Amino acid sequence: MSTLKKMSALMFGLWACAALSPAEFLPAYALVNCRIVPVTSPVIKKGIIIIRDGLIESIGMVGNIKIPEDAEVIEAQGLTAYPGLISAHTNLFLEAPKDQQPGFDEERAPSRPLAEKAVQKPDLQAFELIKPNRSTIDGYHRIGITTVLVAPEAGIFAGQSVLLNLNGENPGAMVVKIPVALQVNFVSERNSYPSSLMGTVAFLRQSFLDAQYYSSYRSQFARVQKGMKRPEYDPFLEDIIPYVIEKKPLIITCSNQEDIKRALRLREEFNLNVLLSGANEAWRVVDLLKKAQVPLLVSVDFRPPASSLYSQEGEQEKKKAEKDIYPANPQVLAKAGLKFALTSFGLTDPAAIQKNIREAVKAGLPQEEALKALTIVPAQFLGVDSILGSLEPGKIANLVLATGEIFGDKTEVDKVFVDGKLFVMEKKPAEKETIKRPSDGGATNAEFGVAGFPKPGQ
Amino acid sequence: MNKTLAAFILGIIVTALPCFSDGGNLLVKNGTILTVTKGSLPKGDLLIIGGVIKDIGENLKAPEGVRVIDASGKFVIPGIIDAHTHIALSGTNETGDVITAEVNMRDVIQAEDLAIFTALTGGVTMAHTMHGSANPIGGRDITLKMKWGRPAEELIVPQAYQTLKFALGENPKQASRQVFGGAPQRYPATRMGVNAIIRAEMLAAKNYMLQWERYLKDTKGKNPPKTLAPPRRDLRLEALAELLRGNLVARVHSYRADESLKFIDLSKEFGFKIVCFEHIPEAFKITRELRTEGIGTSVFVDSWAYKVEAAEGIASSAAYCTKNGVLVSINSDGGERMRRLFNDAGKTLKYGGLTEDEALKLISINPAIQLGVAKTAGSLEVGKDGDVAIFNEHPLSAYARCEMTIIEGDVYFDRAQYLKEREEAAKQAEEAKKPGGGQ
Repeated sequence: MSTLKKMSALMFGLWACAALSPAEFLPAYALVNCRIVPVTSPVIKKGIIIIRDGLIESIGMVGNIKIPEDAEVIEAQGLTAYPGLISAHTNLFLEAPKDQQPGFDEERAPSRPLAEKAVQKPDLQAFELIKPNRSTIDGYHRIGITTVLVAPEAGIFAGQSVLLNLNGENPGAMVVKIPVALQVNFVSERNSYPSSLMGTVAFLRQSFLDAQYYSSYRSQFARVQKGMKRPEYDPFLEDIIPYVIEKKPLIITCSNQEDIKRALRLREEFNLNVLLSGANEAWRVVDLLKKAQVPLLVSVDFRPPASSLYSQEGEQEKKKAEKDIYPANPQVLAKAGLKFALTSFGLTDPAAIQKNIREAVKAGLPQEEALKALTIVPAQFLGVDSILGSLEPGKIANLVLATGEIFGDKTEVDKVFVDGKLFVMEKKPAEKETIKRPSDGGATNAEFGVAGFPKPGQ
Repeated sequence: MNKTLAAFILGIIVTALPCFSDGGNLLVKNGTILTVTKGSLPKGDLLIIGGVIKDIGENLKAPEGVRVIDASGKFVIPGIIDAHTHIALSGTNETGDVITAEVNMRDVIQAEDLAIFTALTGGVTMAHTMHGSANPIGGRDITLKMKWGRPAEELIVPQAYQTLKFALGENPKQASRQVFGGAPQRYPATRMGVNAIIRAEMLAAKNYMLQWERYLKDTKGKNPPKTLAPPRRDLRLEALAELLRGNLVARVHSYRADESLKFIDLSKEFGFKIVCFEHIPEAFKITRELRTEGIGTSVFVDSWAYKVEAAEGIASSAAYCTKNGVLVSINSDGGERMRRLFNDAGKTLKYGGLTEDEALKLISINPAIQLGVAKTAGSLEVGKDGDVAIFNEHPLSAYARCEMTIIEGDVYFDRAQYLKEREEAAKQAEEAKKPGGGQ
């Protein structure tokens, strides 16, 4: 068996495997002679990582770890192993359902009566909307991201997010945690209520109040019954009660400093369990955030918000601020001792995400802080730090093997493991066409389809 | 102004952020001081300590370390107050519904709005920034100081009246038509409809208050029944209940005399306070009623006939109303007029023959009274906030230009310094354009 495996590996350059399922057979791997940055424990200069059944089996210095006989040995001399990076807020793979495309629909406007409440779908699962695809996953692997939170994007109560491992195209097998949080946005839609930001804030307040009221009335009615008018069943409030009463987490997207203040006010008024996302103007409200001690999912999208002076001053000033001012956001937060995760929210192009993470580091964010902000911190914020976010025995085998310091300018990702599944990066991403034709031989080896993805019908 | 130039000038503003280095302490020397309420000093000094006016007089000495501003040949007046505008907000109208008393401009203050800066260039230190006029009942408004560069929450003037915006006439009638083109028009589409829907909402609010009173009374009873449950909290009705309790006051957009009189009836029926009718070109027709009810007006000084309901406006309305005992303020309704309210006030000298003091009151103490801040602002008096505008000439002169704007003893706009910085920025921009220039 082992010989056969090695032969295949020779033939394809790496091991191909089928979609993950609990019963699925995955080879064990031994990554040897690599530098290891486990994040939650000291760096190992020359170490070994054993991966089995999608988990990290053991990890240690060369000499301290015995390589199991059945393990596929991967020589990783010159490579550094990091935990797979986590982007704790994205809109990846989302396909908006046809009946609720965001934005104003001119053609349908006349038939819609005024003051109709905007459609809110707190029960919508992002999972129901995702269509994972290889090229996106490949792109994220190339910058070391192996886990993403996918949040629905349309509406004030947009729905519930899901945490995915980028291990293939089978959505069920990708799920790490579902649901993660209720996604809340300060948005409004013309032609419905609310149609303005102030209306949105009022609507949020009223909704939280209603949830409190509904919940307390409902339980009083359950106790008393006789002599009380029965409560009207309200599916919308049913859906948000867990977040208002049971304090399940809400992620509120904050596109500017005032949004942060608005979100914090709501958090305080209703004692909500809130994570702030976006927050690329967090640097402007550091004192407030210090007081609030709120989990921050800070985007590396450095475009100044429209409300900022920089944007009002025209394109040139805006670009300048994007280049010179906003990349310092994470650095300012780190200096202030605030705990934050970095996310790719607002950006979709992996190259841009990588560039911006590097910009943040260049702007003064220490590398180790950046690394924590993309590994263990988001894992903690999302409540998965016992299984993700660092290299430790027993944790999910999400690993990045990079050619150097992960945020270094010239560093490339060589291989990633997601749920113990190996993906080898094709060196020349430009030659996509050759990649798509398996008959081209060598070039296909590193491509997904062979590396990690089942072929259609397999 | 062409676009490039505008962009250029705006580009400079960022470098001209205010200096707050004075710690709220300033001595303005040798200016002609127009206190508005306590007469004038041809050559006087004004001392501000800790943001508050400490002394006004002659030959005042600056305590050690206090910055002295030479105002020789200049005119020192109270910071101008705009009782009705819509700047510094993210959004003006909640058009998604007809009655939207639940919305609060406090939630959407936009402290980075450039209009704050341009207001300062016209000597404005305080503004009441409001919900728009699309809805018969809009939302709660907010009074802000023009503290350019400071965070939103620091702009709020907490002691100002909490106000609720109402709108009568064409704007609420036509709001739906404007927004939705061929869409079915929303109710109300007539003046009688506007009146009726406001009345219906007030009745609902009364009922809401009653429900709560009953509930609170019952909970205090000896053995409240197990079935006793509180009423649902409704933010919309709660705002109106606050109005009926007197904790909020009404600011009413209205144009015609008839609709205004009807609204006065409505306020009497429900017992709420109208502070001001807004714009009201026909105010001169009902000065007796306004005076008797103690209702002020906040008006454009010289706009009329721009729509049918404004057809009967007259040039001397502000002056006429003032002379007939109505408390009048002149407002901007937006960032553009806001920086030249002193020009607007000056017009009342020619049209209606107000005295200089009376004219100045229209943009200082009168709006301060209407905003409920007369104890701290609106005139230069010992004990009031150090909100001051310094002009090169008498502010009602056609040649007047604001040179410096001070809020609570801090200089937020200094024309000379601003122009210098603008020149330097222009030079730098030129340098950068040269080959090998820039970094």
